[in-house]
Amino acid sequence: MRLQKKDFLLHWPDTLSHPLMAALVMLAATGILYALRQVINPLSVELLYLLPVGLCATVWGLDSGVLAAILAFLGLNYFFIEPRFTFFVHRGQDIIVLVVFLGVAIFISQMVGRTRNSLAAARARERDAIRLYKLSEELAELLDDRAIVLCIAQNVFETFQASRVEVAISDKGRRDSISVTLPDGQPPNLEVSPHTAMRIPLQSPEESIGEIRVWRMLPEWSSAEERLLQTFSYQGVIALERSRLIQAETRARVLEESDRMKTSLLSSVSHELRTPLATIKAASTGLLSQTVSWDSKARNELLLAIEEETDHLNLLVGNLLDMSRIESGALNPDRRWNALDEILDSVLNRLRTTLRNHRIEVDVPEDLPLIYVDDVQIGQVFANLINNSLKYAPEDTVVRIMARKHDPDTLMVQVSNQGPHVAEDDLEKIFEKFHRVTSSDRITGTGLGLSICKGIVEAHGGRIWAENLPEGFAIDFTLPLTWNGTFPQVPEEYESTAAHPGN
Amino acid sequence: MSPQPHILVIDDEPQILRAMRTILTAKQFKVSTAARGEEGLALAAVQPPDLIILDLSLPDIDGLEVCKRLREWTQVPIIVLSVRESERDKVMALDSGADDYLTKPFGVEELLARIRVAQRHAVRSTGAKQPIITTGDLEIDLADHRVKQRGNLIKLTATEFKLLAYLASHAGRVLTYGAILSHVWGPGEYDHVEYLRVYVRQLRKKLEADPYQPRYIINEPGVGYRFITED
Repeated sequence: MRLQKKDFLLHWPDTLSHPLMAALVMLAATGILYALRQVINPLSVELLYLLPVGLCATVWGLDSGVLAAILAFLGLNYFFIEPRFTFFVHRGQDIIVLVVFLGVAIFISQMVGRTRNSLAAARARERDAIRLYKLSEELAELLDDRAIVLCIAQNVFETFQASRVEVAISDKGRRDSISVTLPDGQPPNLEVSPHTAMRIPLQSPEESIGEIRVWRMLPEWSSAEERLLQTFSYQGVIALERSRLIQAETRARVLEESDRMKTSLLSSVSHELRTPLATIKAASTGLLSQTVSWDSKARNELLLAIEEETDHLNLLVGNLLDMSRIESGALNPDRRWNALDEILDSVLNRLRTTLRNHRIEVDVPEDLPLIYVDDVQIGQVFANLINNSLKYAPEDTVVRIMARKHDPDTLMVQVSNQGPHVAEDDLEKIFEKFHRVTSSDRITGTGLGLSICKGIVEAHGGRIWAENLPEGFAIDFTLPLTWNGTFPQVPEEYESTAAHPGN
Repeated sequence: MSPQPHILVIDDEPQILRAMRTILTAKQFKVSTAARGEEGLALAAVQPPDLIILDLSLPDIDGLEVCKRLREWTQVPIIVLSVRESERDKVMALDSGADDYLTKPFGVEELLARIRVAQRHAVRSTGAKQPIITTGDLEIDLADHRVKQRGNLIKLTATEFKLLAYLASHAGRVLTYGAILSHVWGPGEYDHVEYLRVYVRQLRKKLEADPYQPRYIINEPGVGYRFITED
């Protein structure tokens, strides 16, 4: 109750002070006119009384204007119309004058008051229009759902001088659930103070997206404010729908891009597969031919060509399978503790025949800690990096494999060669699918090797990058030396002098 | 064993069957083939072979299942064929009784080497255990727990010896991490591959001329280790 009283007092100037002021003005006007009654023609008094009436209506509105008109009527009657100082009127002519005066005064104050009220309404509409303009301008720049929701909440908060604003959009599978509450931090206690709440749905043509909830101190919501809030909600829905469409379009473009990639992969792969197949077909039909008698050296050459091209095909198919597993997220490293030197040893063994034209240097410290990786996949990384080096570096140059503990948790590996530099702009692009630095026909491959390396290293929580060295080119990558923050634990065993387990 | 060893090849790819038949027949083996798992199982029961080559991906039943069902009644050596991407399948096949594996595509030399090892192992497991294994310049005395290299005694810890003895007594065959760990450290430790890595490194330092290019203890990525004998 007390609070409502306070609230009433808070608003009393609007409802009471204006008529009071009008009454004071009329009193003053009556005083001035009475003082000047000898100078002024009695007929002019009626006209002069209209001036303060018009003034009151202009400044304080219709109610004050009408009050001023009645006071003017009474003042005129009491002070200026014979007999003075009574409200009696003797002459019929004077009655007509008074009635006409009252009619004119009320008419003027009504006209002026209405103009004033419609001016106020026009100002309010302008204010609303500016706020709406500001909101739509801000929303136009936003594409992110969360930013849009925050923007709506802030604008509602400022425009309606709210105590609390909640804007929530719900997950319907098409967008994430987001909820923003203003102000941040401790919410105002909505129970003790006289708050009014307003809920407006965020409604798209197809479905309900969410809701705006506003609490504020009195006064009650006017229908104009409700309409403005509704318009805010429409603007918000438009922005959210636009953001959803843009996201959908981005997804569509990614799909289109991936489709284009697949087409490019197919044509690249078909070409790559046909080259070794051509060699195999030529060599085997040659050997089968009845018309040629091959000496043993020539026979051996043809058979070697078949074997090498078969290995090449096998590598290609392996890369394709790896790529498709990386793409579909099915890489699933089969991790266990592994020794890097063992992985390298298996790879170099496997590649032995292809390595004969280059020199391989392995620089791996003896006491390198174990790494928690899928040894087959990391072996594949080394095989691809070494193959790449063999492809680009001239014959009889050194391919160097170096590994170092970079920090307690990270192993750093570098595979370097004495091949040509790669343009700085291309250093990142070489890890993209189908990217090849040179378009030379000499270099064959699907352009998948490095992107597979990237996929595998990243699946292991590492990083891979390329760099130009003073005398060559290198690919570096990191691998974690811990698993869930732990190092491998191996039970200590003291070196016994004799090898008798029973002793 | 019959004078002409009998090999059963179970694979659904006709071209592989054709090539295997041609190559193995030329190498003086008697070859029978089956294109389906059930057919292979039936054939193995009717005409027990000396060795089975089994593809892991068959149209009717899983190769692993064939392996398990064979092991219910026979200890015939089984070599499974698999592809590079399926290390887990290889380990499962080895753990459910297969003796060895080959990764497709494979060379003939590799195939023949695997067959030789499997045959030798079959002979050894039926006969008496050799107390001393000799390979290259190594002499491993299983009874006396001694290892000599070119006549010199090599000091090994108890665990190192146990590991070496287990690998060497299955010379030529791949042994899975799980099998080695269970045997050397105990069944509860079968997934502590880190023990194995550290001890293999120690053993190599003591035995191998160049620990980075090992001749004896060979790593089989994703599967296990193989002890290579020089013959």
